[in-house]
Amino acid sequence: MLALDGITKTYDAAGRRVDVLRGLSLVVPAGDMVSIMGGSGSGKTTFMNIVGLLDRPTNGSYHIGGQDVLAASPDTLAVLRNRLIGFVFQSLFLMPRLNIWRNVALPLMYRGLALVEARRAAEAMLARVGLGDCAQMMPPQLSGGMRQRVAIARALVGEPAVLLADEPTGALDPTTAQEIMDLFRTLNRDLQVLVMIITHDPLIAAQCRRQLVLRDGVLEG
Amino acid sequence: MLRQTFIEAMANLLAGRQRSVLALLGILIGAAAVIAMLNVGAIARNETVRQFKEMGTDVLSVNISARRSDALGLKLGDILTVPQMVPGVTAIAPLAVGGASVTFRGTQRSTMVAGVTEAFNPVVRLDLLQGRFISAYDKYELFCVIGKQLADSLASGGERPIVGSTLRVGAYLFTVIGILDPTEHNPMMPLTINAGVFVSLQNAARINPGQRLTAAVGRLADGANADRVEQVLAEYLTSKGRDTTISVQTARQLIAGMAGQMQVFTLLLGAIGVIALVLGGVGVMNIMLVSVTERRQEIGIRLAIGARQRDIQLLFLAEALILAVFGALLGIGLGLAGSWGFAALSDWDFVIDPAAPPLGAGVSIAVGVFFGFYPAHLAARLDPIEALRAG
Repeated sequence: MLALDGITKTYDAAGRRVDVLRGLSLVVPAGDMVSIMGGSGSGKTTFMNIVGLLDRPTNGSYHIGGQDVLAASPDTLAVLRNRLIGFVFQSLFLMPRLNIWRNVALPLMYRGLALVEARRAAEAMLARVGLGDCAQMMPPQLSGGMRQRVAIARALVGEPAVLLADEPTGALDPTTAQEIMDLFRTLNRDLQVLVMIITHDPLIAAQCRRQLVLRDGVLEG
Repeated sequence: MLRQTFIEAMANLLAGRQRSVLALLGILIGAAAVIAMLNVGAIARNETVRQFKEMGTDVLSVNISARRSDALGLKLGDILTVPQMVPGVTAIAPLAVGGASVTFRGTQRSTMVAGVTEAFNPVVRLDLLQGRFISAYDKYELFCVIGKQLADSLASGGERPIVGSTLRVGAYLFTVIGILDPTEHNPMMPLTINAGVFVSLQNAARINPGQRLTAAVGRLADGANADRVEQVLAEYLTSKGRDTTISVQTARQLIAGMAGQMQVFTLLLGAIGVIALVLGGVGVMNIMLVSVTERRQEIGIRLAIGARQRDIQLLFLAEALILAVFGALLGIGLGLAGSWGFAALSDWDFVIDPAAPPLGAGVSIAVGVFFGFYPAHLAARLDPIEALRAG
């Protein structure tokens, strides 16, 4: 499903070349569940930005489902992100002035879906993450764990091939974090979505089928 | 999508209420100034038409002022020969205007007394409420005609001057033979007709001994060149008068002069409008730049979940559009209220120029959206990684 080959990323920081990724290669089959571990500064976020089509590598090739995604224009990348990838961020970022179902429906709205259909899909996905009753509430009314579930529902509502989660439990207490991990596992099993979790927490990483460590710009597993 | 975009834009504006109000204010004042400018123009045009509707635009007036107190001035004959001597003038009526106190049953008023001839009314075309105007046979009779406003102000104890009443004008007792229908104030007339007393030239000289001719009103022939007539008439009368300054004015010139004055006013309002609109536009730009900065992370998330650049641009343009439309709508109200105030202060009729509200609103909406483009563009061009890192 995901095929990265020879990915390098070099930043030019104050005249000094910084090699963040050095020839990273990775193949992940569809429906797998992978954790990426790494200390701070190991290039986790850069790696995720490249996998998530938010950033382009300096060198290397990247295919999703056999499609070369590096040649695309910014708007095409936006469409690919919208269709192929669901993001869950550490900061639980929801649109504060949209209610819960509108937040979840947002990717579908950007896809150009009619409001009625988008709402139906959003409410179905909310029910799946256990928030069927909260569709009309506003983000500040929910707890951190509930908001992370909303973010997961938003990531999955467009039926992406890949769910990318950057420290999805970083802001949650251990009990809630475990609930979210259980949810990831259920969704991975039921929807056959490829789940990639980037974390620094070994307990979280251990719950994934495949565990990788990012060190010195390459993946070790 | 569009509906949701506008719902969000509205919610964002409400969340930053203070800033929104400030940006709104600029657009509002700009729109109001532009609308007031257009509408005051319409009010002034309407007023000009109204002022000259009764008497027409072919009226001309002559002001005769003595340079020395013992100047001989113009003789009656000099004025009466004008229609023969000056082509383009069909009729002319001399006036001798002075002040006098008028008393009716113990109520005294100071007002203007005009000595006129029988030629006056055919030129000025006044209607009478009661009675008749001064005729050629009334030269030596102590008869007067009074304006409606004067009649009203002299009324006392339920008694008001009517035809047949006796008035004391200066030192003489006059019999009222006519009361004039109220007329619009006409800037061409040497006195306020509604508040005046009209007597024969001979009687005017009795009331104010040594009273000279002070003015004349006339009519232009159809198709006469007003500027040319004015020049010839002034030269002719100046050649007849001794130690006398003659100035001639035609209604057409006066209208042109008023239009010129209005233009100054219009330009002033226009300048205020432009300045306010630019300030309003900068206000819109400012609030939106702040909004873009504050919402970088939100923009990043939107880009991450599949928003295209134009989706982001639309979101911010929607905010600018909402501000501009609200500002423009309120501006229509304020602009019309302002021009109403102008009309009320000038004692002019209030009219609404149907083109003013849409034009003013259109211009200010265009300005608001124009100034919204740059921040919206900036937001749309944000690098999603940079934007996401901002939090």
